[in-house]
Amino acid sequence: MQKNYRYQSNKKVIRKTIIVVFLFVFGLSFAQNQKDSLHLKFNLIWKNEPLKLNKIYASKSDTLQLTILKFYVSAIAINYTDESTYNQKNSYHLIDIEDVNSLAIPVCKKLNKAISKITFCIGVDSLASVSGALSGDLDATKGMYWAWQSGFINMKIEGNSTSCKTRKNEFQFHIGGYLKPNYAIRTVEFLINQDNLITPIALELPINVDLATFFNSIQLSETNAIMIPGKKAMEIASLTTKMFSIE
Amino acid sequence: MKVKYLKIFGALIAFSTTIYAVLAFTNCYLTPIYFDIPKGWPKPHYNFSKNPLTEEGFQLGRALFYDPILSKDNTISCSSCHLQQTGFTHVDHQLSHGIDGEIGNRNSLSLQNLAWSKHFMWDGGINHIDMQALAPITSKIEMNETLENVVSKLQKEQKYQYLFQKAYRVKKITGQLTLKALSQFVISLTSANSKYDKVIRNEEQFTDMEQKGYTLFKQNCASCHIEPLFSNEKFKYNGLEIDATLNDFGRIKITQNPKDSLKFKVPTLRNIQFTFPYMHDGRFKTLNEVVKHYNSLKQNSYLPKELTKPMNLSDDDRTDLVAFMKTLTDKEFLSNPRFSFPRE
Repeated sequence: MQKNYRYQSNKKVIRKTIIVVFLFVFGLSFAQNQKDSLHLKFNLIWKNEPLKLNKIYASKSDTLQLTILKFYVSAIAINYTDESTYNQKNSYHLIDIEDVNSLAIPVCKKLNKAISKITFCIGVDSLASVSGALSGDLDATKGMYWAWQSGFINMKIEGNSTSCKTRKNEFQFHIGGYLKPNYAIRTVEFLINQDNLITPIALELPINVDLATFFNSIQLSETNAIMIPGKKAMEIASLTTKMFSIE
Repeated sequence: MKVKYLKIFGALIAFSTTIYAVLAFTNCYLTPIYFDIPKGWPKPHYNFSKNPLTEEGFQLGRALFYDPILSKDNTISCSSCHLQQTGFTHVDHQLSHGIDGEIGNRNSLSLQNLAWSKHFMWDGGINHIDMQALAPITSKIEMNETLENVVSKLQKEQKYQYLFQKAYRVKKITGQLTLKALSQFVISLTSANSKYDKVIRNEEQFTDMEQKGYTLFKQNCASCHIEPLFSNEKFKYNGLEIDATLNDFGRIKITQNPKDSLKFKVPTLRNIQFTFPYMHDGRFKTLNEVVKHYNSLKQNSYLPKELTKPMNLSDDDRTDLVAFMKTLTDKEFLSNPRFSFPRE
């Protein structure tokens, strides 16, 4: 080791140090960003237990299992008790039950002040829907863009249930639509009760997404395939907001 | 000690400057294309600032357009249904066919002057040219593929690694860049050098028949097929009865508005001589049949106001009108090697 070190010329050492320092600083800035951020953490659940794909659940009227659950969260905004607001820029996030990393969204630098309100949209707004090919979570390779009719699928829920008299007993909900009057984006708003205030120390804001709430409010024998924008998609879109709650 | 830190700091600055210089330098390798707007034409609808045309992007898009890699079994390319010699449409097939010989339910549209189009497809379901290719790629009866899989196939090909690197300076191919590259090619397909255009520019003259036809055209057709693009970009019911084997009600599928039942896009008439058969379901083989259809329209309350006045064309009138339509043929466009299959 000692020998090796001596063998290297001074220049080489400097060069190495520079690279190491550069990488370190670079890495640090990233790490800090992630670590100190306030995260929205989506807990996908069925009543009180973590939701699992291909597990059999019973709703009020059906037994069912899920095979796909994906949805967009966008336009995240945080209001603080001191009346300041944080609006996330370019805020489009695809939540996918099969991608653990997608469940926690870094929002903003954690501030030591109390949050009074959290707002976000389920789905993608009309402007992004008419903006052509986009990148990241909005890239069409994510399978959340309709082909024969432009627009994002805001939420995809698929699975099967014996209640569905369909091929392979499948149910498919592809909820979306950006054209009025069938603009299917929905806003969810949580006022934070100051009595059980989310402590500013917490780095995660847990948001529960309870699929049981959704399936308890529909009957799969009647409603099992929505693949286009329209009235039905609008109704289902409104129902999906009820899944979201904050502890 | 302090000197050492200064040195490191200085080196860091030098390092980042070099990186920026290199980046700027690689930028120079992109060859920008100036999109030509023919004289007297309106402003294009396409937002070029979001996808600046470059020679490298155009050539990548061209390679993709002619490559069957876009389809599930690598048999169908865009050009399978959009042939240059016929104005980039599927000539001779009433309904276009795709993968495994599956038949679609519409006649493929021609691809020309798309930079001026606001929406795409016969029903206008696609709102942006970037997203257009997604429809045929994922259609079960056209290419039956997913964009995700197309991207992973492209990523494995040395040729595309090279072309994407050249056009977008990326190693990782994405769906966005694939679609934008395709747009670069199709958006460049401008047809503006037909005999009609030359007459408008006072470089040539119509024959008597063509001139008479032009007058008839302006009286009877030009309210929807507006010059110089020969379309008003709107959706109209043109009196065609529904084909009970297809039950295609057109735009209503997109808007769910009963008023849009049986409405289809007003297509451009450019290169119409070669884009047969005609109408959304390709039901008319010749231009003569098309003119006859409009000339013998049975009035009903659903017809748009543009079609309520009977045309009353004589046999000669009809011949003249067709003669005029043939002046919209742009031979240079139909055989331009720049738009044809890329031979390396």
